[in-house]
Amino acid sequence: MKETWNILYVVSLADIRESIRAKWFFIYILIFGGAVVLLFVIGITESQVLGFTGLSRLLVTYIQLCVAILPIFILITTVRAVVGDRESNVLEYFLSMPISLGAYFWGKLLAKFIVVFLPVGLALLGAVSWGIIRSLSIPWHSVGYYILLLGTLSWCFLGIGMLISSLVHKQEWALGLAFLVWLTLLIFIDIIMIGILLQNQVQEKIIITISLLNPLQAFRTGAILLFDPDLSAIGPASYVILEALGYEGFLTFSILYPFGLGWFLAWLGYCIFKRGDLV
Amino acid sequence: MTDPIINIQNISKKFTRHVVLDHVNLEIMQGDRIALIGLNGAGKTTLIRTILGQYNHEGILSVAGGEPRKDRVEILQHVGFVPQHSPPIQMSVQELIKFSGKLNKNSDASAICEIVDDLGFNADDHKKKPFLKLSGGMKQKLLIAMALAKKPSVLIMDEPAANLDPAGRKAFFLRLSKIHRETTMILSSHRVDELLALINRIIEMDHGKIVLDERTGIHSLAGHLVFCKLKIMDMTDPIKKMMEDWNFQKNSEDCCYEGQIMDVDRLRFLNAISHFANHICELNIR
Repeated sequence: MKETWNILYVVSLADIRESIRAKWFFIYILIFGGAVVLLFVIGITESQVLGFTGLSRLLVTYIQLCVAILPIFILITTVRAVVGDRESNVLEYFLSMPISLGAYFWGKLLAKFIVVFLPVGLALLGAVSWGIIRSLSIPWHSVGYYILLLGTLSWCFLGIGMLISSLVHKQEWALGLAFLVWLTLLIFIDIIMIGILLQNQVQEKIIITISLLNPLQAFRTGAILLFDPDLSAIGPASYVILEALGYEGFLTFSILYPFGLGWFLAWLGYCIFKRGDLV
Repeated sequence: MTDPIINIQNISKKFTRHVVLDHVNLEIMQGDRIALIGLNGAGKTTLIRTILGQYNHEGILSVAGGEPRKDRVEILQHVGFVPQHSPPIQMSVQELIKFSGKLNKNSDASAICEIVDDLGFNADDHKKKPFLKLSGGMKQKLLIAMALAKKPSVLIMDEPAANLDPAGRKAFFLRLSKIHRETTMILSSHRVDELLALINRIIEMDHGKIVLDERTGIHSLAGHLVFCKLKIMDMTDPIKKMMEDWNFQKNSEDCCYEGQIMDVDRLRFLNAISHFANHICELNIR
């Protein structure tokens, strides 16, 4: 058992080093680190929209940015994890070494999680630190919840990415599928498709189910709910969900559902990976 | 009679409808040194990948008493592998050496460095360089060193000498000829002549089947070097470069070069110097 953990650690460390060296990682840091800096520079903490001001306003904007960019960023970088190694013969070589399939797969997933989550989480903490220096009021409860939310969102999309990566045998297919998944989830957030469904008098239960199944919707609603308990700022489906789950219930759901979904999809990806031809 | 270290019974492998291994039966004993030959698409690489546990298959396969798919970690501790194409690994040379050393119980970084140095590549000089930015020969030497440092019971090499320079080939074949007698070797190649000095069995594949399985006995030329002297007139830079590549020394007589070549490399050497045939006024091989 100790040996398995040791191999998992070695594989993760190697993958983290490779990711840090990759160009996408610099772009990634630039986007999410830069976003926080930019939000401060343009004076977003001074402005007031729908009652949000100060650091809360910045956090809400940052989270909205994360909803828009983070999932596709994670998908694009993760879907190539297995299939990319397979196409380039790296997998053939690594799997000729005494690495268990579990250590390879979960080690890669863990490494990607660290690489994806740390910059976004640190950017958030950076914003908080800057807020403390500027003597802004810090919504600690929201900060903690947002960090959890970003973690579970990252985990969820990493799970989707690893599943796609195990399923397909060409990187082009993986990228295409990732884009399709992202678009589908985007369409099914309440402002677009759910609004149309409500307009067309589709049954409430169907709307709730579609909304609840969409991790993007769960994330988005959870993020707003903290500052806008009535959800007056976002689309119609959110009211319905809020009514069904309640305030606390939805906050808990927003954390647990993407996290569970991420685990389930990653596990599915692992089963597919270990059952098929490895190279 | 001991059990075979690799036992292949009726193994078949299909990709969609294309049969790549067709009811292959093979018993490989400890100490067998096999040249696995065949044309492109004959099934050599698929057989190797199946032995490494990377493909699902029909039939029964055991390596060192275990199933490669099920007991991969235990089995692969004892298997050294050099792939046909060097993978584009982004890790630096130093990281890759440490990575391999940590994963393989019988190997460590210093053993790898020692072997790779012996093959004519100083890893220390390139330790910060990403593996994928090394030249083809350097990559090959490092992969060979990592496989040999494991002191494997089974050594599998897919076209191992393809990218090596003459000096590297010489060092590589000498290394192989000194490997422990009990080590089982499977060397895949298009050419059997360069492996003759190392092998005691030839297996030829064609269309996924074994069409030839013959024992050759250890060739008397194993690891044998031949002395060679050339007298050259009108020395040019390309000739000097070629002589350096073959590790030949200029002797006291002007324009005379002396050195040793592997006997298996005799044809390759003659081919190399034939480009400068007009400049050679004396050639002595013994």
